[in-house]
Amino acid sequence: MTPIEVAHLHKRYRRTTALDDVSFTVEPGEIFGLLGRNGAGKSTTVETIAGLIRPERGTARVCGLDPIADRAAVRRVLGVQLQSAALHPALTVRELVRLHRSFYRDGADPDRLIADLGLEPRRDTRFQNLSGGEAQRVSIAVALAGRPTVALLDELTTGLDPEARRHLWDVVAGLRGTGVTVLLVSHLTEELERLCDRVAVLDHGRVLGLDTPAALIARAGRATLEEAFLALVGGRR
Amino acid sequence: MIRAWLFLIGAELRSVARDTAGLIIPIGLPMLILVTNALAVPAEALGAYLLPLVLTIVIATIGVINLPSFLAAYRTSGVLRRLAVTPVRPAAILGAHLVAGLIQITAGVVLAVVVAIAGLGATPPADPVLTVAVLLLATLAMFAVGLLIAAVAPTANAALATGLVVFFAMGAAGGMFGPPGNLPEALARAGTVVPFGAAVRAIGGAWDGAGPDAAPLLSLAVCVLVPGSAAIRFFRWS
Repeated sequence: MTPIEVAHLHKRYRRTTALDDVSFTVEPGEIFGLLGRNGAGKSTTVETIAGLIRPERGTARVCGLDPIADRAAVRRVLGVQLQSAALHPALTVRELVRLHRSFYRDGADPDRLIADLGLEPRRDTRFQNLSGGEAQRVSIAVALAGRPTVALLDELTTGLDPEARRHLWDVVAGLRGTGVTVLLVSHLTEELERLCDRVAVLDHGRVLGLDTPAALIARAGRATLEEAFLALVGGRR
Repeated sequence: MIRAWLFLIGAELRSVARDTAGLIIPIGLPMLILVTNALAVPAEALGAYLLPLVLTIVIATIGVINLPSFLAAYRTSGVLRRLAVTPVRPAAILGAHLVAGLIQITAGVVLAVVVAIAGLGATPPADPVLTVAVLLLATLAMFAVGLLIAAVAPTANAALATGLVVFFAMGAAGGMFGPPGNLPEALARAGTVVPFGAAVRAIGGAWDGAGPDAAPLLSLAVCVLVPGSAAIRFFRWS
């Protein structure tokens, strides 16, 4: 079954168009990137897939299910890390992972998950006392607690130092082959070039290109995804 | 999903217990009022007025000040938004907050009652079952007011400020700073109808065995239904 399928999504906030005919399909086991500048419509797309936003037109499907009409069923297969969300600040890492694990009938072993994400030394630290990189690793752990079929990771590494960023890249790369399908949202081209099987380039709510990083680079006649991205959105500033 | 619910209640209780300053007002303040004022009241009269007042303060501070400030902070920071993308139903999340509040209220009430009876020589309640039932009704009424504050307050600070103002306004009219007899008559009458004064009267009636009047019970019931349904109508998750 297709993990994520969005077709002709349209969404407007007052006068600004957030999504303008966005369509793409994410295949099973794929790490799929959503690339764009701030305000390109990335988070709106993710929140539509998560069922937090109702599109004006178009459809979103997670494993064939409607995120709003089939709310409960979609939430059982979806693991989400949202830019606009937070975890209980006074709880420790282990308490948070166990809490979120309790929301699902089947799920990961909390202690194993904590170890896999390199959080073992911080497991009894309260969330509010973690560094930015550690906090992001906890939000991934929490997103994976229900052993989701589909994981949405929104702006995972924004604001992190290079070392913490690389650590998170290893974590995401480690999801490949575990059966989880990942939608990775970022404005960092290097991140998506490294991690993603395919990337959709979003600008002003439109999909400007959708292909493997190598094909996007080759088509633009550039050397890196960053240059290819700038060439794609360059004329539209 | 009972398991998830128990975990959520545990998470709320831990969060409250770790916010030590937040426990001073609902547990510490009423104890202070009880002990200092008990010196001026004959022991056998404690149950008629002072103890009901103190128990009402416990219930109101947790229901009207602490509950909305936690919920509004969770909404502002995105904790509620994060929970909204899990399979847990919204009603279960709110329910966990209410149960955690009820557990805090129970702890505060038991503490005050034990100090009053064992330490200050107050008479035990004439009708314990009726007293507990009235305490529960008062708790529901304060929760309804607190949920409404949480529903309409835009930020955590606004919720805390609104909660404090509502608490002191209800308390002043309901006799927290002196007998309502000293207040202008219209204000004193209003004070008996708002949930604070109504709770004090109803708990006092149940405690001393005279039985609570119908009027305060009716006020409390209306207070559960009207702000309660408004809160459900206006509650926002993000």
